[in-house]
Amino acid sequence: MALSKVDLENQVENILPETLGGTGASQFPAQFRNIIINGDMSIAQRGTSTASITTTGYYTCDRWQFQMGTMGTWTQSQSTDVPSGQGFATSLKIDCTTADASPAVGDYLIITSRFEGQNLQYIKKGTASATSLTLSFWVKSTKTGTFVVQLYDSDNTRSISKSYTVNVSNTWEKKTITFAGDTTGTLDNDNAGSMQINFWLGAGTDYTSGTLQTTWGSSVTTDSAVGQVNVADSTSNDFYLTGVQLEAGTTASDFEFLPYDVNLQRCRRYYQNYEYTGGTVVSMGNSISSTQAVAGFDFNLPMRSAPTVTLPATGRSSGNINFLTSASGYASTDGTIIAQYINKDCFRFQGTGYTGLTGESVSWLYPVATTNILLDAEL
Amino acid sequence: MIISVEKIYDTLPIVRFTNTYKVTYSDSTVKFVPLDEANTDYQAIQEWIADGGTVIDNPPE
Repeated sequence: MALSKVDLENQVENILPETLGGTGASQFPAQFRNIIINGDMSIAQRGTSTASITTTGYYTCDRWQFQMGTMGTWTQSQSTDVPSGQGFATSLKIDCTTADASPAVGDYLIITSRFEGQNLQYIKKGTASATSLTLSFWVKSTKTGTFVVQLYDSDNTRSISKSYTVNVSNTWEKKTITFAGDTTGTLDNDNAGSMQINFWLGAGTDYTSGTLQTTWGSSVTTDSAVGQVNVADSTSNDFYLTGVQLEAGTTASDFEFLPYDVNLQRCRRYYQNYEYTGGTVVSMGNSISSTQAVAGFDFNLPMRSAPTVTLPATGRSSGNINFLTSASGYASTDGTIIAQYINKDCFRFQGTGYTGLTGESVSWLYPVATTNILLDAEL
Repeated sequence: MIISVEKIYDTLPIVRFTNTYKVTYSDSTVKFVPLDEANTDYQAIQEWIADGGTVIDNPPE
């Protein structure tokens, strides 16, 4: 029965009575124990493939940032290449399309996921009771050899790095790594980024010239990724990642699969993509005069913080949005629509510079064919 | 890369700053960024200002 997949081992371990060395109460969450959101790469609101990547950004799978400092050109995709028989349907794939066999000293290539401090208070970082964290994941890489994965505490500029080995080229392998608890540096109890996990894929000597920092300490840049192979050294190189789980304790439990809708909702705290098609209504607004109109836009889930808003262009072409007259026609002259008063729950459209809107009347904010409004509150 | 940052003003019903920046990037994309210290694009704007960037501030008459 599926219940057997729940972390029974850790649950039993965590509820040992005090007489047997336990605390008498569960220390860690049994559900949502995976600190990483979208570890199975099932959610990709931005799209399933992006080519010609040369700069840092979020491209396909939600919550996974591709950090890059001048290190080749890449195509990133949500792939269906997954480890057999493990229950995963998707992975994050990066494909080198322009190689950089000799990275400059400051170059880097990293896959990163970031966590809010308020979601990490139970790991008790910065206290004598700080708990260990165990990372498990599936990896498939053309490039074999030593790879580095790092936990970075951005509240206190502390880090710990561990290495793992990809043994066989182009073959799925499961890796498990335990990081000791850190008794120094408490994490802020807020909605800002406090910690991140970095899967290093390549680095210049600014990050590799020291000794790998395998215990928690003040972060030393040169000790971050010592020994890391260069995944960017050939256009033949691909790298896949899925089943990423980071959990409290010293053992790796089975991957915590969440229903698709739950995973999507968790991702939408950080990014929302509203898609409209022709004939629908973005919002019912009001034309204040023949030249100006306003309308509201309520998010269907509060975001982590006030998001950055990207709007379609104003106009009459496919993909545009536009305020219409009370008779649902275009105005004599189109104006410009902007977003303003943005907070974590909503914002306001304002259209100005029109001529021919129906003054003091309802005005339909209209999507011309398929168009998207994007909200970004990523860490 | 940020090319320009402009304060967005409301003219309805009175002229006031809306706590929003209109930001134009080098790839010609335009984004509306709230003045929220937890927003990473706002943080990037603060760095851009610290590096010498100037926010366009043209309140309507």
